[in-house]
Amino acid sequence: MTAENAVLIPRRSEVASAFKQQGGLVAAVLPIHYPRALLLAFNILPMEVWGPPRVDVSLGSAHLQPYVCSVVRNALSFILGGGLDVADLIMVPHACDSLQGLGSILLDFLPPKQPVIPFYLPRGGSQQGEVFFAEELRFLYQRLEEIAGISPSNETIMKSIQWEEVADELLARLHKQRGRLQFKDHDFYRLIRTREYLPAEDFIDIAQSIFDADYEGQQEGIPIILSGIVPEPMGLLKTISEFGARVVADDLACCGRRLYPAGRSEDPFFRMAERILGGPPDWCRGSPIQDRLDHLHRMIDATDARGVIFYNVKFCEPELFDLPDLRQGLGDLGVPTVSIEVDISDPLSSQATTRIEAFFEMIR
Amino acid sequence: MSIIDSLLYHWNVNILSHSLLRLNIWLRAEISRASWKSKYLAPPLKISWLNKDLVTRHWLRGHYANQRHKVAWVTSGAPTELLKALDYFIVYPENHAAICGTARVAVDIMSVAEEAGYSQDICSYARTDFGTLLSGKTPVGKLPRPDLLLACTNICQTVLFWYRVLARHFNIPLIVIDTPFVYHSEATEHALQFVLRQLEQAIPVAEQVAGKSLQERKLKEVGRLSKMATELWLEIIERNQHQPAPISVIDQFIQMAPIVEMRGDAETVDFYAAMLKEVDERIANGIGAVKGEKKRLLWDNLPIWYRLRYLAEFLGENGVAIVASTYTNAWGELARYYDVERGLESLALACIYVILNRSTGHKLKTMQRMIEEYHLDGVILHSDRSCKPYSIGQMDQRDRLIREFEKPALLLEADHNDFRCFAEQQVANRLAAFVEMLER
Repeated sequence: MTAENAVLIPRRSEVASAFKQQGGLVAAVLPIHYPRALLLAFNILPMEVWGPPRVDVSLGSAHLQPYVCSVVRNALSFILGGGLDVADLIMVPHACDSLQGLGSILLDFLPPKQPVIPFYLPRGGSQQGEVFFAEELRFLYQRLEEIAGISPSNETIMKSIQWEEVADELLARLHKQRGRLQFKDHDFYRLIRTREYLPAEDFIDIAQSIFDADYEGQQEGIPIILSGIVPEPMGLLKTISEFGARVVADDLACCGRRLYPAGRSEDPFFRMAERILGGPPDWCRGSPIQDRLDHLHRMIDATDARGVIFYNVKFCEPELFDLPDLRQGLGDLGVPTVSIEVDISDPLSSQATTRIEAFFEMIR
Repeated sequence: MSIIDSLLYHWNVNILSHSLLRLNIWLRAEISRASWKSKYLAPPLKISWLNKDLVTRHWLRGHYANQRHKVAWVTSGAPTELLKALDYFIVYPENHAAICGTARVAVDIMSVAEEAGYSQDICSYARTDFGTLLSGKTPVGKLPRPDLLLACTNICQTVLFWYRVLARHFNIPLIVIDTPFVYHSEATEHALQFVLRQLEQAIPVAEQVAGKSLQERKLKEVGRLSKMATELWLEIIERNQHQPAPISVIDQFIQMAPIVEMRGDAETVDFYAAMLKEVDERIANGIGAVKGEKKRLLWDNLPIWYRLRYLAEFLGENGVAIVASTYTNAWGELARYYDVERGLESLALACIYVILNRSTGHKLKTMQRMIEEYHLDGVILHSDRSCKPYSIGQMDQRDRLIREFEKPALLLEADHNDFRCFAEQQVANRLAAFVEMLER
């Protein structure tokens, strides 16, 4: 039996409808980091919005200049087109200048029918950042209280955090053991990206069922690491498989950079803050570039990856700033890299496919 | 510093720049004023030479700074008063990049960074800076090597990404003052406390690198000078409420270097006091920046450094003066937050309430206020490819200005430092159509 056959991946819209039918609310959440546990403690299901691809971008283009990335443009287009009407609120974490702008124009100029809640993720990694973030989460709590009309206790929040910690621990195991799970990359990422919309308990059931099943063998293919924001269009992953390669680890903002460690604090707000701020290094928390490089080195050592694909969304300035140092640092260690730039609205271009193929030829 | 180095320093910085260089700058400015031929624009301000002198001496000092001071590279919204009080020599890479832009050498310099892998989609100031690091090319002679970096996220997140690259390149400490974005009318108390705590934590790091302790008396003195210069700057730009406007925003862009990079210095206060005096003289004598001023505009966003003169002449020819700017205003409007007696607390307020750290709605309100106070007829919004936080929101701001305030508003696509993003003919056509609309 393969894992692929064992798992039925529920659709986002079905999950949202079912959750609402049971009396819950749905929050549309933009990238990258946010307190899942806090929302779920309010019986609000977070439904992440990474773009999405395949929307009418003309709606967003009427409000955003052409040099704004497709993740933000598509999200605005999706909101204006009614794609998020199912949501009871829209949460906009402050990840970058473009998401900052999106949150601000939604509040000031294009108010959707739902409340818009922005919040700030501190940069720089100081202890003061953790203190601030815990306070920011308390502030968020008050907004959610107004919307949901309930006031979950600290105990309820802590319980929600513990579910998330179990789910994240299983997610990390899935990442680590992906080689022995008989999933193709495309299916593996469909599976792990259910974390973007499934309640922790449901994800735990799915993940547990995969580990309980009996699998044999190790996957074959040229081992590579994928770094970037989001593996969209997902056709990329099929292309990687078709060319005889496989993703053995990732440094994607929507996946590997969100493998949050378990918290230690007894205070639920501090615990959520320390978990989110304690995740793998990324620019969004202001991690030094060297930390990102060291993190990539460790992944390469652990997986014997032969190369890294930097798969970037066009106009994503934060990724572009780090890219030359990361590529040079890896090059100094003899790790080949390639950089591909995409607009998530478009299918993978033949130029990108050719470059990926040439890269695999080189590292084969 | 050896005796020879010390002598060389005094010769170059104190003797050469104070006499020969100064005389040269003054003479050139006078010749330029005397031979001024524009039918549409007033000659440059008399004090322009002083500005040039200040800036030239600043970079000349910079040439030797590593031998005499600890050097800090800082972002333009950073609380530099702390570092000034610790006797750091301050360099603003953004200002340096703007000089490269004005001198039209920025693209040549930034292409070095692009060859090294930096995308054309990142800020052109950062690319210019990286290009200088990698090639040594700069019109200011030499940039002193930094001992410390200070990045404040109140102007953009880009500076954080930029300074992380610098920190790795130089392998030196980076102080980050992170200022939570103010989405609503006021910053939250915990956000203010966060900024304040970071300022407190920055001091020991800066002291350790400086090898000296921060003296409260010195900090107060620097703070006092900063406040004075900022207030003078605000007074100068507010003089443009007068019709005709005595100086244009193009003049402001040129004269703003000291308020950005020499805030906290006594000579900056003197310079702006002299500038205010000259501006008042112009008002008294009925001199306008644009001869026969007919229409008055607001400029939003950073300047297009490599086309300042072109814009001034194109608009001036049509009797149009750009008299106010959200950008130059940003350096003055913070004056009210500087309070020497409240020390770090006032610095925290000044950091967090920078216009770029506030909502798109706040910016629209600022524009609305300026339209009223400066009696403006329209707005040019520079959609700056290199500055997303300033530019996102402009499309809706323009629509509101047109619909709600009934003011013509033009969105002009360009880039503050990269002339490859400036389509001259297209800009000319759009400006011409806009001017025509203003005249209706």
